Amino acid sequence: MKRQILLICFIFTSIFAVGQVKRTVSGYIKDAQNGETLIGATILVKGTTTGTTSNVYGFYSLSLEEGEYELDYRYIGFTTISKTVMFDQNQTITVELSSDAEQLDEVIVTSTEDFDVQGVQMSTEKLQISTIKKIPALFGEVDVLKSIQLLPGVSSVGEGTSGFNVRGGGVGQNLVLLDDAPVYNSSHLFGFFSVFNPDAVKDVKLIKGGIPANYGGRLSSILDVRLKEGNAKELEVSGGIGTVFSRLAVQGPIKKDKSSFIIAGRRSYIDILAKPFTGDASLYFYDLTTKINYNINENNRLYLSGYFGRDVFKFDERQGFDWGSTTTTLRWNHLFSDRLFSNTSFFISKYDYGFSFGDNDLDKFDWKSRILTYTVKPTFDYYVNANNELTFGGEAIYYGFRPAESIGVSDGISTDISLDDKFALENALYIDNKQKIGDKITLRYGVRWSAFQYYGPGNKYEYQDTEPGERKTVTSITEVGPRESIQSYSNFEPRASISYSLDDKSSIKASYTRTNQYVHLISNTAASTPIDVWTPSTNNIKPQQGDQYAFGYFNNRIGERGLEFSSEVYYRNTKNQVEYVNGADLLINELIEGDLISGIGRAYGLELSLKKNTGKVNGWVSYTLSKSELLTDGINDDEWYAARFDQLHNLTVFGNYDFNDRSSLSANFTYVTGAPVTAPTSRFEQQGYVIPFDYYDSRNGLKTPATHRLDLSFTRKLRRVKNGEKRKNMDELVISVYNVYARKNPFSIFFAQEQGRPIITESPNTQATQFSIIGSFVPSISYNFNF
Amino acid sequence: MKNTTYIALFLLILGFNSCEEVIDIDLKDAPAIVVVDAWITDQPGLQKIIISETKPYFDNNTPTGIAGASVRVFNSANEVIDFTASSQAGTYDWDPATNTDFFATIGERYSLNVTLVDGRVYTAVSQINRVPEVEEIKFTFFEEDAFQDEGYEGEFLATDLEGSGDTYWIKAYKNGQFLNKPFELNTAFDAGFSAGGNVDGVVFIQPIQSGVQELDEELATVLYQPGDSLYVEILSITNEAFYFLEQVKIQTQRDGGFGEIFAAPFENVTTNINSDSTEEQVAGFFNVSSVSGKGMKLE
Repeated sequence: MKRQILLICFIFTSIFAVGQVKRTVSGYIKDAQNGETLIGATILVKGTTTGTTSNVYGFYSLSLEEGEYELDYRYIGFTTISKTVMFDQNQTITVELSSDAEQLDEVIVTSTEDFDVQGVQMSTEKLQISTIKKIPALFGEVDVLKSIQLLPGVSSVGEGTSGFNVRGGGVGQNLVLLDDAPVYNSSHLFGFFSVFNPDAVKDVKLIKGGIPANYGGRLSSILDVRLKEGNAKELEVSGGIGTVFSRLAVQGPIKKDKSSFIIAGRRSYIDILAKPFTGDASLYFYDLTTKINYNINENNRLYLSGYFGRDVFKFDERQGFDWGSTTTTLRWNHLFSDRLFSNTSFFISKYDYGFSFGDNDLDKFDWKSRILTYTVKPTFDYYVNANNELTFGGEAIYYGFRPAESIGVSDGISTDISLDDKFALENALYIDNKQKIGDKITLRYGVRWSAFQYYGPGNKYEYQDTEPGERKTVTSITEVGPRESIQSYSNFEPRASISYSLDDKSSIKASYTRTNQYVHLISNTAASTPIDVWTPSTNNIKPQQGDQYAFGYFNNRIGERGLEFSSEVYYRNTKNQVEYVNGADLLINELIEGDLISGIGRAYGLELSLKKNTGKVNGWVSYTLSKSELLTDGINDDEWYAARFDQLHNLTVFGNYDFNDRSSLSANFTYVTGAPVTAPTSRFEQQGYVIPFDYYDSRNGLKTPATHRLDLSFTRKLRRVKNGEKRKNMDELVISVYNVYARKNPFSIFFAQEQGRPIITESPNTQATQFSIIGSFVPSISYNFNF
Repeated sequence: MKNTTYIALFLLILGFNSCEEVIDIDLKDAPAIVVVDAWITDQPGLQKIIISETKPYFDNNTPTGIAGASVRVFNSANEVIDFTASSQAGTYDWDPATNTDFFATIGERYSLNVTLVDGRVYTAVSQINRVPEVEEIKFTFFEEDAFQDEGYEGEFLATDLEGSGDTYWIKAYKNGQFLNKPFELNTAFDAGFSAGGNVDGVVFIQPIQSGVQELDEELATVLYQPGDSLYVEILSITNEAFYFLEQVKIQTQRDGGFGEIFAAPFENVTTNINSDSTEEQVAGFFNVSSVSGKGMKLE
């Protein structure tokens, strides 16, 4: 009887609810200090779980039944603001939250917990730039990519490698976005630094699983880096002088409340110091990151951002090697109503590299390669009601691949050995809904439809299968006209996540993600390098596909000590993983498709992380136990073998201690199981050359010794008061030591005959050599300022 | 020119101190397999074929030759030449003076038959292909710079034969000594580095032409000095042999340093030798070349 009454009451209330008038409060959430919008800030009805979060443009919209509510606006590290809001009419409320790092010990309600425990999104790592700045870095240069490698599930195969690996995936399986535009190579100086200038970066989010339907095109992860809009309140100049490069960033309002800008540049200058020793040879990089925004009116806002960077490596005046990326993003935010937010982005992204050899114009060899993409991407956020947020949109990408534009000149006779450009289109449509069911359950479900077309002008190559694992021979080459399709693919990618709150501090979550990848990063070296080539799916190269399942338990406060605990397990299986035949020739090879073979992959693991965000001692411990394997016909005797980036254990401990409001000490320790390498068992000779041979023809059967390292950094803020007056500018000195105990971490182990001139009548000696990129500790000092 | 030395130099200035250590590793034990080293040419002078066994990777002794084998090469007309055991176990040779016409026809196909005392049989086929003349040897003077002393860069001039698919091995001899370091291995597919390079019937591209310098311990170029001589040989090789040598380059050109960043992982090179037992592995290569050459002394 009681139950029936309850049921009747429930039905009644729900009908009543439908009959209720709803009002919408919307607006932006900003940082009070500089007017930057805050991404992922939460707006909660006090004492309930009803609420929303601000989107990537800082916009929020909350629709509630008419009435009076107390809303909490909060963002990690900022003081929570509570506002009593009358929901009697639709209205715009823009809120500015303030942070004051220097008031850490004062009793103010500062939000410390990540709302993510309650949100449906899992497998996501966010790093505040303020945190990134505390992490001890090589040469004291704060770096986004190096920092995310300290998080669970993220790694790299060693120092000096471009890119990063997520959950046992390859470097080319990460979609790296800089203000929406894909970055095809995210490294400077062979991977020691990344292209992201920390002075210009606002927000860094890495999605390892449960990828929402608005993202696609790569199997492993999405790294979404968003740039600052530029200080809207006052002119701000910041920068730093370091051992390797210097940084300078200028930002400020152009027109109050209408427009602001930021421009940030970096230039390494070691080549200038080294000039007396190296003559015309030099190695340097520079980059420029800039953004400008314009508030047309309340409902329309434009953003234009760009990145331009280049690494230059000259052997002498005429010969050298250079590479770099360029991205340009134009975005238009438009509010159709206070519940329908839209953004249309148009972006261009290019990565190219070039080599020049030869002493004069009569004898030279020039080689350039590039990938160029144009994308248009409209997205819509529709805040249906307090329980449903719908995201939908589309994406169209035009690809122009230039595998090699190459001219060789010998004795004045010039020969064009360029390969034909390749063209492709990738389109996607997606719809995704985030739905709250009751107080405990949040769902996110959606589907992404993706399609890829590889088209002419170009040649269609057909190959004959030979023995598995061996080079395929071409059987026919057909010329295909402009715009004529050579091969097309399309796929549905279902995505789903669920979160169940156990109580207000803990939850369990699960997700399923299917992803397809139509462009492939071709690299057969131990680690990714600047000369890796992107290539489209063709009639011979099938799109990669992955299915990932993840399950996690999250707890925000163990023993009320301000600790955040998360644990996740994942399993991912993939197909059409690109592998290479023995002796694959990947550069300037028209018949490259004959050298590529495909396999399947599986990766699984456990990720644990314990974080402490506040207090004098803060930091985290993260641990990953994982496996990543491949199975390819004709390789490793048709048995599963470890992927190059398979790492069984990966432990990171990062801690920061604030002595007082001016000094802090940070330490970072990492331990990673050795990387798999292939080793020979035997040797034989051909025409005097000693060739290593593996009787078992295995792959990645040997492990290098483990990698571990301790880094320290000490930050001292310089005096804020001068002659009794408060200085406006802030500056600090950072002293850091990378690899404190001078561990020689292996980059690779190689097997080769001894250097030196082989004696014709004798057998050369063979040996195994371990190569370490950094073989000692690296101290550095840098000075940062802001005024 | 060894470009990675520049990278190393810069990173050293940066404060990196990259390092290499020869290490001890326990490798798996493996049975020995038969190795055939059969690269023969149309040139006068004793032609050699070596039959031996693989050894554990860290065993630096000369390979153990397999004595008592019958080593024969057939042409398409089934004419046969016998390679006879020399004083060194496992080395078999044949004197072209006994049959000067045997390798005289371009395009002729040959098969190798190796029969061991225990009855195991290994076979392989090859073909003798055409080879362009070495037209000229040139020396160009370079002034001293930060990386090298003054001297002359040697270069050969030759034009790939019209019609795509020719593959060559270019051997350089400095003062009569074959430049035999793995990094001095120089090959060409038509006039370029690889198939599909669209460089048919033209002068060899620059890096191939000048790939005839001696490299020192650090793999830096040792320029030619007055009094030095350079002799360049072009050997026609089959496409299969070209790909084999490409693989040999990948596996043997390992000098460590920052070149490791660009290095491909270790894997087995192919072979064109077949064993009569499908279960049995065999290593090595059989190739027949026609050869052209030219030399010059720098005065």
